Amino acid sequence: MSAQGTIELLDRASQRETLTAEATPEHAASASGPPFVLGAGWWVAVTALAALAGFGGYAYYQQLLHGEVVTGMRTIGAGGATWGLYIVFVVFFIGVSFAGITVAALIRLLDIQDLKPLSRMAELLTIVSLMMGALCVVADLGRPIEGLLNLPRYARTSSPFFGTFSLVIGGYLFASLVYFYLAGRADAAHCALRAKRLRWVYRLWASGYRGTQAERDRHHRVSFWLALLILPLLVTAHSTLGFIFGIQGGRPGWFNALQAPGFVVMAGVSGTGLLIVVAAAIRRALRLEAVITPRAFRWLGNMLLVLTSVYLYFMVAEELTANYAALASEKKIAHEIVFGAYAGLFWTVVGSLVAAFAILFAQFLRGGRSLAWTVAAGLLVNVAAVLKRYLIVVPSQTHGTLLPYDPGTYTPTWVEVGVVAGLFALGTLIYLVFIKLFPIVPAAPFEGRPSSPAAADADGEGGRRTAAALFTLTLLAGLGLAVTGFLLSARAWTQPHLDPVVPYSPVVFILGVMLCFASAAVYELTAAGPRPAGGSPTPR
Amino acid sequence: MSAARSTPAMGQRPSRRGLLGALLGAVAAALVAPRRLLASALGKTRRPRWGMVIDLDKCTGCQGCMVACRAENNVPVNGPDESGRDRGIFWMDMLTQRTGEYPDLSIQFVPTPCNHCENAPCVKVCPVGATYLSEEGIVAQIWARCIGCRYCTTACPYSRRYFNWRAPSWPEETKSYLNPDVATRPKGVVEKCTFCHHRLRAAREKARAEERSLTDADVRKLPACAESCPAGAILFGDLNDPDSEVSLLAKSPRAFRLLEELGTHPKVVYLREAKWKE
Repeated sequence: MSAQGTIELLDRASQRETLTAEATPEHAASASGPPFVLGAGWWVAVTALAALAGFGGYAYYQQLLHGEVVTGMRTIGAGGATWGLYIVFVVFFIGVSFAGITVAALIRLLDIQDLKPLSRMAELLTIVSLMMGALCVVADLGRPIEGLLNLPRYARTSSPFFGTFSLVIGGYLFASLVYFYLAGRADAAHCALRAKRLRWVYRLWASGYRGTQAERDRHHRVSFWLALLILPLLVTAHSTLGFIFGIQGGRPGWFNALQAPGFVVMAGVSGTGLLIVVAAAIRRALRLEAVITPRAFRWLGNMLLVLTSVYLYFMVAEELTANYAALASEKKIAHEIVFGAYAGLFWTVVGSLVAAFAILFAQFLRGGRSLAWTVAAGLLVNVAAVLKRYLIVVPSQTHGTLLPYDPGTYTPTWVEVGVVAGLFALGTLIYLVFIKLFPIVPAAPFEGRPSSPAAADADGEGGRRTAAALFTLTLLAGLGLAVTGFLLSARAWTQPHLDPVVPYSPVVFILGVMLCFASAAVYELTAAGPRPAGGSPTPR
Repeated sequence: MSAARSTPAMGQRPSRRGLLGALLGAVAAALVAPRRLLASALGKTRRPRWGMVIDLDKCTGCQGCMVACRAENNVPVNGPDESGRDRGIFWMDMLTQRTGEYPDLSIQFVPTPCNHCENAPCVKVCPVGATYLSEEGIVAQIWARCIGCRYCTTACPYSRRYFNWRAPSWPEETKSYLNPDVATRPKGVVEKCTFCHHRLRAAREKARAEERSLTDADVRKLPACAESCPAGAILFGDLNDPDSEVSLLAKSPRAFRLLEELGTHPKVVYLREAKWKE
């Protein structure tokens, strides 16, 4: 695309943003500064959620005190499942994170303007759910302190957990944070001018954003490349979770090449579904009907329709494989799920997914007129997502022993339910506090003091060269550290099961991955005055 | 402008490449060196591959091995409540397989220690290297490093790994009988059979003191389960030594290993029960 085209595109975008800002009298940076007045409902919700999170904390304290004897988990083979609700919700929380960055990337890469007002709430959903996923992993560990100390020190690349903890929590979360931070600078600059207190926080976030054309230009380019790079990371991240189960040959029901792709698609289903619910709730609560148009929900609804139908197809393929001429052990698990102890859950999953599919398909045919139905579909697929993960994690442990052990049972206790509910509450609480302190819908582009042409020239050429050098340096250092850290952790040429050559080299790998994504911020923060026309690479 | 930008880059290129090469060289050297050192230090010494043979024809199902194992390895006694809730710990377990209906009922007892697989799924999945295959083929567990994620317990097809759901406890009267040679495990870690490697170490020390090498006779009844088996159904030894008793028995036509089709290459060999006609 030519430079002329880019400018047109930017103009269109800023027009849109101006419209957006005008239509949000109550909740936009242009109207009043943070903290925003959100009424009594906000305080009630926050108090209730804090109480629930506190209860979750108490439940976890009980587990720390007595050990995981207070959960419903037991020994495999002796009649139980050693992984239970925690792992189910690790998968769920990390799955939900799919939506945010995908939507952000779609907005940027395909230029879908209708979804633009949803970008920040979607990204926030990603970040919050990833944090909750990480906390849920910690909740599952028998020794959380040792986990936090030993994972960075000894992490082995041969374990699928390596990917979960380095790529998901290190790379994916950090990249999302960088994306979120950069996309929020303009609004932060706005808030810094109008905030009643905590101005320094907004000023820090804005980090010198002046709203010049050059800055917007850079952000446009940076967000394109970040979105492009985050997409494969997203597929990798959800796949590592699937591979935790999919590559276990000794556990019927898990050993399945469809596991990783299935996890990616199911992540999309539940993430998109939850985003629909969250967006509808925020739209209703903040009266953003004019900003978040029905067309936005139509986009999300159609996205969910495609993902749901793909997942239904996966389920058919799975059931056919597990029943037609499968190994007796596979057949046993499949039978137990469809007709046995787990039949209730299984048919709820099938019912919810089919119902959601029917609703969304009807919406698609009728042009998506009913928001309530789309939200209902969003809720249904999330019920299905939780239960389907349960059906992946638990039955293969209770009924999936190849040796003649008696089948087991698993029933979560109040501690597990409490911790998971507490995590849900904590996540929602963070979300609500954020809405109070920051515009959840991207507001107007910040029109700061226009820099004089003379000043721009002064830091023009030299500044740009320093910026380019800094960016290249960060990116190369990141790549170098990532490769070195991985090789030192992996011992690629000797035995992969041995310890890292140098202790803490997994940290080097994670730092390298982080630095690669941080280079985007470096590039954007070093934006100088206006760029000369031409001579710069234009985004596609 | 492009010329001005490219000049310093051109100037930097050789040094950067040199630096990269040096770095890669250093990394490669670090990776290769210890192995070579190790190989030269070991010389031509043959490493043993410890294994076990369990003759199901001799096994009476008395569970003496299970009791001996508990006592030897300080396996916590979690009491009837927790055992009833399927949280008991059994390094040596007794698998029972029922065939037929009463009165033509037969039960096969299979004592099941850890199989110490050569290609152990539990070793592959451990995220922190708390479990590893030792140089003598024992799948060992480092309690201090284990973070309690329980991935190994789900990965083991034989369910031979046990998680400490709570802090270990013993009845007051038995505490003075805890074995000082074996560390007790805290809550939140996974534990498992070690082939009584502490006894192996003691036997090796003894042989060294007597200025001779370890013989098959030293080890064939070495683990607590083997020592205690009244029927002599359990034998221990070096599968790498073609003349050891376990090696010879492993070649028997009655020999099989559990779930061989998984490709885990267990080092516990079972001898099939003969069919008796009466």
